[in-house]
Amino acid sequence: MLKPKQMSRALIVGHKDLLEETIEVLHQINLFQIEDYIEDDSGLKIGKPIGKGDAISRSLIKIRSIASFLEVKDEPVKKQNASTLLRDLDSTLEKLDKEVSRKTETRSGLEARVKEIESLKKELLPFADIPLDLDLYRGYDNLSIFPGSIKGDIEGEISSITKSYELFSDHKSGTIVLFVPKIYTEDISMVLSDHGYRELKVPEQKGVPAEIISRIDAERTDLLRQIDGIDADIRALKDEYKEFILASNEVLSIEADKSEIPLHIATSESTFIIEGWVPSDSYNKIERAVSRATQDRVFVSQQEIEHEQESIVPVEYDNPKVVRPLQEIMNLYSRPRYKELDPTALIFISFPLFYGMILGDIGYALVLLTLALTVKKVVKSDAVKPLMNILIYCQISTFLFGILYGEFLGFPLAGVVSHGEIQAGLIPGFNTIDLLASPVGGEMITYPIHRNHLIMTMIVFTALVGLIHINFGYILGFINENRKHGISAALLEKGSWLIIQIGILLGVLGYLEVLRSEAVLYAGIAIFLVGFVMLLKGEGVKGPIELPSLLSNSLSYTRLIAVGLSSIYIASTVNMIAFQMIWPDKFGLMTVFAILVFIFGHALNAVLSIIAPGLHALRLQYVEFFGKFYEGGGRKYDPFGYIRKYTEE
Amino acid sequence: MAVETAAVMDPAGLKAIGAGLAVGLTGIASGIAERDIGSAAIGAMAENEALFGKGLILTVIPETIVIFGLVVALLIS
Repeated sequence: MLKPKQMSRALIVGHKDLLEETIEVLHQINLFQIEDYIEDDSGLKIGKPIGKGDAISRSLIKIRSIASFLEVKDEPVKKQNASTLLRDLDSTLEKLDKEVSRKTETRSGLEARVKEIESLKKELLPFADIPLDLDLYRGYDNLSIFPGSIKGDIEGEISSITKSYELFSDHKSGTIVLFVPKIYTEDISMVLSDHGYRELKVPEQKGVPAEIISRIDAERTDLLRQIDGIDADIRALKDEYKEFILASNEVLSIEADKSEIPLHIATSESTFIIEGWVPSDSYNKIERAVSRATQDRVFVSQQEIEHEQESIVPVEYDNPKVVRPLQEIMNLYSRPRYKELDPTALIFISFPLFYGMILGDIGYALVLLTLALTVKKVVKSDAVKPLMNILIYCQISTFLFGILYGEFLGFPLAGVVSHGEIQAGLIPGFNTIDLLASPVGGEMITYPIHRNHLIMTMIVFTALVGLIHINFGYILGFINENRKHGISAALLEKGSWLIIQIGILLGVLGYLEVLRSEAVLYAGIAIFLVGFVMLLKGEGVKGPIELPSLLSNSLSYTRLIAVGLSSIYIASTVNMIAFQMIWPDKFGLMTVFAILVFIFGHALNAVLSIIAPGLHALRLQYVEFFGKFYEGGGRKYDPFGYIRKYTEE
Repeated sequence: MAVETAAVMDPAGLKAIGAGLAVGLTGIASGIAERDIGSAAIGAMAENEALFGKGLILTVIPETIVIFGLVVALLIS
């Protein structure tokens, strides 16, 4: 907790003949992260792939293309035995590949034919209502044919040119087919072009268009049925080979990984050197496993982590299980560096705390808790689960603050006395109890705390929460800086902020009525100046420029009350619309409407209640809190190995 | 000379207007600031998804403006 897992740098050295066994055992143990070797002038070279690397890669490409064609998705299937799978893999893959390519070829052939038919039909459609055999459109010596579309009636004008013509027309589509003796071609063309004539291509077919169309329509339906049949075959193939595809993809990926390892390590004529990282508590495990697998002929040794290597040490979180979901929030920002504080456990407290302070409503807590638990149960995804856990933590905190604030879906639980009148709460007879008078705004602190009657007090209180949180950040920054660059840097860069604040506090106290004393005032100013000079030395000009951020950052925490109030106002507006404006005296249609408004209004506000308090609570961590101490940018610990999902050894 | 009639405005109304202006104008200001940052952040995320966290932070930084506006509105009313 508060620190990433301790890592050790290990060196594994042995004869090349033992490389395969070593890689095998490292892969199996899944704890060792191999550090890429970069060739230098030491004479060591990067190794060459072992085993049948090429063949494996080819099969892998084939299996992945088949998987994407068949749309095989990751899903839990029965585990297969890896060695039997590997034995039959090539022949099964060959068979599957042939079958798939046969199906795809037939399918694309059929699809091409369907396209052909569709374009033919498009050409035929204009002629559909003209009962002429398509053969009759061709092969005349003395006749000109005008097949095309036209606007309006032209029969009169044509008959004024010649009486010997034959005109077929379809008024619906505007298609005409006109036969005239060749000598009138030019005159007729002129007439036609005046009427917006557009020539149509006559399809190279035989028979009456309407008949052809019905024939090809039948063919098209038949083709589509065949395509459906092939699709069904492909689906059947997918169901039959799904397990094989998933399992062999896994096995081949593993084999490919193993065969490529020599490309990452240093080798000489006859030896290999693998450098890498292992969690310190697992170092012995690695050493023992390697020795056993190679009968003590490969040597594992632990190396000192040098200072300049600290930036490349892989970082693995080391948190109790209950805190782990919050690691997602850390990853979203940036993984901590190796020597840095891991604040996951801190935001485990502060994130739900701020969320609850903002939302603080028993009703919403219950609704969203149910939602989170349902989603967690229904969706099995590993990505969703931690988020739902975070939501659950937040709702627990919201519930507790809901009890403190006495709110249920925007209704106050307790009645409150204001200006001599009692505004009744949800629980009859339960009124707020006065606890003590607030020092600000002349307000009365009560239980339950009614936030909308305590605005001034809450604003001051939340700003104070902010000040505490920020200073906690500075203290963590001090610890971090001390660890990285020593005590003087820590004092100048982070301690100066604390000193400046003490100075300001003393100065203000000395100036105010409460403790009017010139000595305190001057002491405050002096301390402030000391802090200021330290800051200037530690951070340069940047430091003083950031001074006002002390004020703006702590005021930023007033969002804890401001966003919460906006949520209350939305909720109580929904309640008001539903129960005061729409609710009728007698049961009727309007009653149903009021209930609908109530449900939808609160559903909307519930969704907003995940987003708004979530984002604001998150932002307070990321911007105001992390800004004071956190750097991040650590490298992910990603050991060489694989967690088998579809196969077993 | 016309008799001047001094219409006195209810101070509560002026307060409400002030509160509305405080929230509204700061809301617009936040929106304008976040618009540019947000589009740049989305652009950066399209290149590298790991930048989501940083992008989110940069985008919500101007959010403080409207929070201040809201606080001022609460103080006025």
